[in-house]
Amino acid sequence: MSEPVIRATELTRRFGAMTALNSVSLSLARGAVYGLVGANGAGKTTLIKHILGLLRADSGSVRVFGLDPVADPVAVLSRIGYLSEENDLPGWMRVDELIRYSRAFYPAWDDRYAEELRRAFALDPTAKIKSLSKGQKARAGLLIALAYRPELLVLDEPSSGLDPIVRRDILGAVLRTIADEGRTVLFSSHLLEEVEQVADHVTMIHQGRIVLSAPLLAIRESHRVGERVPSLDEIFVALAGISAASAPET
Amino acid sequence: MRSAAAAIAWEFRLKHRWGLIALTGYLILIATIRLLTQERGQSVDFDDAQSFALVVVVPITSTFMYFLAVFSFGLSGDLAARQSMYPARMFTLPVSTAALAGWPMLYGTAAMAILWLATRLFALWPSGVEVPVIWPALLAASLLAWTQALVWMPYALPGLRVIVTVLWLATIDAVVMLALYYKAREPVMLAILAPHVPLAYFTARFAIGRARRGDVPDWRGVFARLGRIADVLPRRRDRFPSPARAQEWFEWRRHGRSLPAMVGILLPFELTLLFVFRETPALVLETLVLVLLTPPFMAAFAAATVRKSNPEGSDSYGLTPFLATRPLTSASLVAAKLKVTIWSTLAAWLLVLVSLSLGLRLSGAWPVVMERARELVDAVGRPRAVAIVLLVLSALVASTWKQLVQSLFVGLSGRKWAVNLSVFGTLSLLAVAVPLAQWIAGSKYRMGVLWNALPWIAAVLVCLKVSAAAWIAIRLRDSRLLSDRTLVLGAACWDASVFAVYGLFVWLTPALLFRSYLLALVAILAVPLARLSATPLVLAWNRHR
Repeated sequence: MSEPVIRATELTRRFGAMTALNSVSLSLARGAVYGLVGANGAGKTTLIKHILGLLRADSGSVRVFGLDPVADPVAVLSRIGYLSEENDLPGWMRVDELIRYSRAFYPAWDDRYAEELRRAFALDPTAKIKSLSKGQKARAGLLIALAYRPELLVLDEPSSGLDPIVRRDILGAVLRTIADEGRTVLFSSHLLEEVEQVADHVTMIHQGRIVLSAPLLAIRESHRVGERVPSLDEIFVALAGISAASAPET
Repeated sequence: MRSAAAAIAWEFRLKHRWGLIALTGYLILIATIRLLTQERGQSVDFDDAQSFALVVVVPITSTFMYFLAVFSFGLSGDLAARQSMYPARMFTLPVSTAALAGWPMLYGTAAMAILWLATRLFALWPSGVEVPVIWPALLAASLLAWTQALVWMPYALPGLRVIVTVLWLATIDAVVMLALYYKAREPVMLAILAPHVPLAYFTARFAIGRARRGDVPDWRGVFARLGRIADVLPRRRDRFPSPARAQEWFEWRRHGRSLPAMVGILLPFELTLLFVFRETPALVLETLVLVLLTPPFMAAFAAATVRKSNPEGSDSYGLTPFLATRPLTSASLVAAKLKVTIWSTLAAWLLVLVSLSLGLRLSGAWPVVMERARELVDAVGRPRAVAIVLLVLSALVASTWKQLVQSLFVGLSGRKWAVNLSVFGTLSLLAVAVPLAQWIAGSKYRMGVLWNALPWIAAVLVCLKVSAAAWIAIRLRDSRLLSDRTLVLGAACWDASVFAVYGLFVWLTPALLFRSYLLALVAILAVPLARLSATPLVLAWNRHR
């Protein structure tokens, strides 16, 4: 079996008195779409920031492509495409400047694909990023995350607050990425119906702990009640409820 | 909390409690000194303007500026934006516009008045100076009220806020100066200043009312045609040869133009003085010095933007995920910043030298400068004269660059507490160092002791610097932020620079005046090392939290 794309082992991270991640262990194999779901503040973004090397673990470890993202950021980040909920693209750049700047970092940058995406997303190359709508900014972020066909695409709550058309573009990007063999997508969201549409494997995180991690089909089967297959929403609410009830009172 | 007034006051107090505690500490300190000296029947007279400025004028002016920023909400908004700087979140509160304008204005003007009255009461004023009671308090309150009103106003063009505010405040200042020039009495001053606060209040009410309705005028369309001319110019589409070059471009666009632009704005005003004073050699030379000191002086202000990773964000020192996820090492991110500061320094100096040459030629002040140059050649000989001029210019250029980069290690740490601590530390050091220097300068005996101790002081500072640099080098190596080769190359360059500076010192200074080991110690202290080499370390600390 090949090396997992992401391996987190007993990963723990605290912010003051709050434990954001509590002994999280996770292994993501190559060539699948992984949905990371959980309520707001569950620890999804904290886990993703560890994968990107933006946070250091208090204990435990994270390896991406077998490498430590904090010790070797260049080797890890050059193989990851990342789109964040914050979408903090520099507002002073024009779209064509953003493309010109971004492609310098990725030897595999595909100009034709970038232009194809720019047209598909209807991005004006002379428009300043700060003048774009939220949806257009998300599209610009998606363009620079996809144009070098990254081995791992990390999407952190990408559809949050966006209209259905942009959300469709994002799901389309996920599907395009996995169409290329061997590429992996980690898709974090609290919009579970979206995750249900594209994910092969779902990991649920609640209060910094992984409460469920299994293939989507297996999750559905294991929660089947007679003939009725519950939705991911229902499963999540049930699991989060159980987890909250079993959590020690503070 | 049962009222809007209490809630607004609570927000000011909570957000700025440390500044207010520091101010209270200062007032208690000067009050204690005042009471102690009065009790013992002693008098503390300021024998020069500097010590008075240090003890009274600098702290009060800093606090005045701080209050302007705090009570106008200027610390959390974009000064150049068209939109009002009044926090938009407060527009939806179930509070009248009069209250939104009135309470911050009341708190601000009251704070200004109290600041003045406390300073007048407690501060140690030079003997023989009659300190007025009310009108300065009213002037401070008026300036704050107008700042609030003009800063909260929505504007039709970006940047217009700064121009309007500066012009209006300067006009009020000019009127007051004129009144003082004509020795206006206190009642006249009060009559001039009294209407300002109510007028500013009504302006602020109008401004917040407009902003609350989303009524922001827009004249940008008038200038859109000019903008289209820029679109006609060919746009660069070629690839950057390397990620490092792309990052340099990013840094140049972000921060590189600040210093040349700041210097470029000041130069025309300074060079005008050459035309005015061309008949007076002393003033021509003073203007020349003023122009030459402009880049290092302005670099201290430009550094404030260079050290911010995210000037537009609420956490302006934190690294944005966009920048933090660039596949570059932290050392490369720092290297791009440092290279851009070099280009920025050179661009500013090119601007100064070209403008100064033109200014001297066109104003007819060139012969004055040439005459002084001839005197220097006659005094020390041509080679030394050329070396001195080049050394002074190099020192000014190096000082400009040093100003830009020496606080990078604080800003790039991404921790606001580190930035605040650094500012507080610098001000505290100045507050101690300047009176100490004056105390020493007041006695030949103390000067002699200092002169004898100078090599020891320099040696201790060198030990501290080299120890810090060694610790940083070990950390850089252990964390693999810099390769062994880069560390060795950096150390070799630093050594070469120190030797070059030492060689120049030995050549230029009389051997009897300074011992060669003291010159060597000064050369070691002059060439930046520890703080500069710490920047990749602190950026990594910011990037991987």
